[in-house]
Amino acid sequence: MTELVVSDLTVEYGSGGYVVRPLNHLSFVAHDGELVVLLGPSGCGKTTLLSCLAGLLTPTSGSITLDGLEVCGLSGRALADYRRSAVGVVFQAFNLLPSLTAQGNVVAPLRLAGVRRRPANARAVELLERVGLAERLDHRPRALSGGQQQRVAIARALVHDPRLVLADEPTAHLDHVQVEGVLRLIRELAEPGRLVLVATHDDRVTHLADRVVELVPQEDSVDREPELIRLEPGQVLFRQGDRGELVYVVEDGKVEIYRELADGGEEPLRIMGPGDYFGELGPTLRLPRSASARADGAVSVTSYTLRRFRREYPGLARDVLVDRAVPTGD
Amino acid sequence: MFAITLRDLQFRSRQFLIAVLGAGLVFAMTLLLAGMAASFYAEINHTVRSVGVDAWVLPKGTTGPFTAVGSLPTSTVSAVSALPGVRAAGPLAITPEAAQDGTRYVRVTMIGAPVGGLGTLTPSRGRPVSADGQAVVDSRLHVGIGHPFTVSGQSFTVVGLVSGHTLNGGSPDVWITLHDAQQLLFGGRPLATAIVTKGVPTASPTGYEVLTSTAVRQDTLRPMQSAVQSVDNSRKFMWVVAAVIVAALVYVSALQRVRDFAVLKAMGASSRSLFGGVALQAVVVTLAAALLGGLIANLLKPLYPLPVAIPFSAFLLLPVSAVVVGIFASLVALRRAISVDPALAFGAA
Repeated sequence: MTELVVSDLTVEYGSGGYVVRPLNHLSFVAHDGELVVLLGPSGCGKTTLLSCLAGLLTPTSGSITLDGLEVCGLSGRALADYRRSAVGVVFQAFNLLPSLTAQGNVVAPLRLAGVRRRPANARAVELLERVGLAERLDHRPRALSGGQQQRVAIARALVHDPRLVLADEPTAHLDHVQVEGVLRLIRELAEPGRLVLVATHDDRVTHLADRVVELVPQEDSVDREPELIRLEPGQVLFRQGDRGELVYVVEDGKVEIYRELADGGEEPLRIMGPGDYFGELGPTLRLPRSASARADGAVSVTSYTLRRFRREYPGLARDVLVDRAVPTGD
Repeated sequence: MFAITLRDLQFRSRQFLIAVLGAGLVFAMTLLLAGMAASFYAEINHTVRSVGVDAWVLPKGTTGPFTAVGSLPTSTVSAVSALPGVRAAGPLAITPEAAQDGTRYVRVTMIGAPVGGLGTLTPSRGRPVSADGQAVVDSRLHVGIGHPFTVSGQSFTVVGLVSGHTLNGGSPDVWITLHDAQQLLFGGRPLATAIVTKGVPTASPTGYEVLTSTAVRQDTLRPMQSAVQSVDNSRKFMWVVAAVIVAALVYVSALQRVRDFAVLKAMGASSRSLFGGVALQAVVVTLAAALLGGLIANLLKPLYPLPVAIPFSAFLLLPVSAVVVGIFASLVALRRAISVDPALAFGAA
């Protein structure tokens, strides 16, 4: 029985001098035989998560456990064995080696693992027949359609019978006819003894999933009342990289907006005073917070859900990128 | 990784063939330059050996029989013959001249020896010189047996031909009688430029010095030393050029394969095996270039006016040197191959 447990996973790195946190305390569980879809827009951390699950990227904190094996603690030969035997990856751009035929591409992981030529070739032929490419064994990638290349990539991911199959945007480069065939194939992969994780922003894939993990929380369908929040001097309202759903309006006092730098420093951006609003970009574009907010002295702010804020201040869609004071009733 | 590497070579064959051609031409140049350098040594060894003597007695202050023209009376032969260690002695008159064949002038080295005496050469074609007005010549004079030519107005007829007997970068040797040489050089007086001996004298006659054939070879090479050194330096520089050509190819290929490296690493390939694949490609290219270079060098050899005597050792050394060049050239791609982040495989195309 295969089980994947992702617990409090965080990935943080410096980019252009700033701290970027594509994964922030993510947790979920996937069970044996499930097709799990990791859903989220571009930039939400799907590929980062897949890299961690494939043992190609070490997270900043948290854990990944596959059948009791702690992946994050692996190194050297143990890590190489994990990559070679436990995980199969279907990359977004197929990433077939252009110099190898379809059969050669599927054989490659086995040959790299030291499997002898004859059994490796036999296994590759078996898998290519399974994905419907028995007559394309000797074709190079440039002679295959997008859908056929994707099926070769799937066969390659399965060649060493992995317990965990990761697929990154498997429908990204396909037309609707090809998509149908690939999705059907991916659905078939999820069987007892194997887990399939598909990272995608394509909603169509979710209809096939046993479970959907949303990396970006959906906009709240329930409209909450605005809430007045009082902050002590120096208290942090939200941090760069957090997922946020609320927009804030300063009622009284000042809020300092700043960026956290990779070297531990801070870059002040602006001071928001009474009537100013902030924090609208994250919920609007469903992105992590791009800066942190901290009380500059005692301050009161009102928090709104995005839906409520749009209703209260209809000019938001037009002015979302412009600093503008909220018109007051006075 | 071996099979993947060779398949990639096959896939990028046009790119690699261009590098093979470029490096092959450079390797051909290294062989030809090696042949030129070797020919300077070879022609000197051949000419000195062809005289067939053990020692040369020269007037004191004369550097060597082929680099300076001294004079001594032919009567000195009897005194030299009496020296301890000498089994036989004879006079030679050696001088550089210009041979004229119609309107064509060719620089030659005239070697005058007594008919049937020490220093007489038996040719590979025709017969030895047996009388005045006859000459045995090297084939680089481009005249046949029975063909006349003149030197300083004196006429000669070719009675024998040899090959590989040249000096000073391909100037043909010409054997004539001592008498004819004395006419050309000394106006007919009984003088010689050297007394040659079988056996090495243990003492020098007063006013003369003795040079062994080894010393004569070294002295004859001396004026050519800077030319030989220049050719040799150029040959070594050609290896650097070949390495740069192959390195450029290997580096461009590595840049093109960055994503392939990432995918291979994601599939479990080690950095060492990736670099091994890059090095293997470089070595295949250089070995193919070495083979092509050998073929081109042999084809081009006859086109050179200078003698080109490519030693067999150069052909044996070429593939070994090619492997070393290939490995060094692949180092430019070392950092690229081992530093690729396998997570790059997850990136969009």
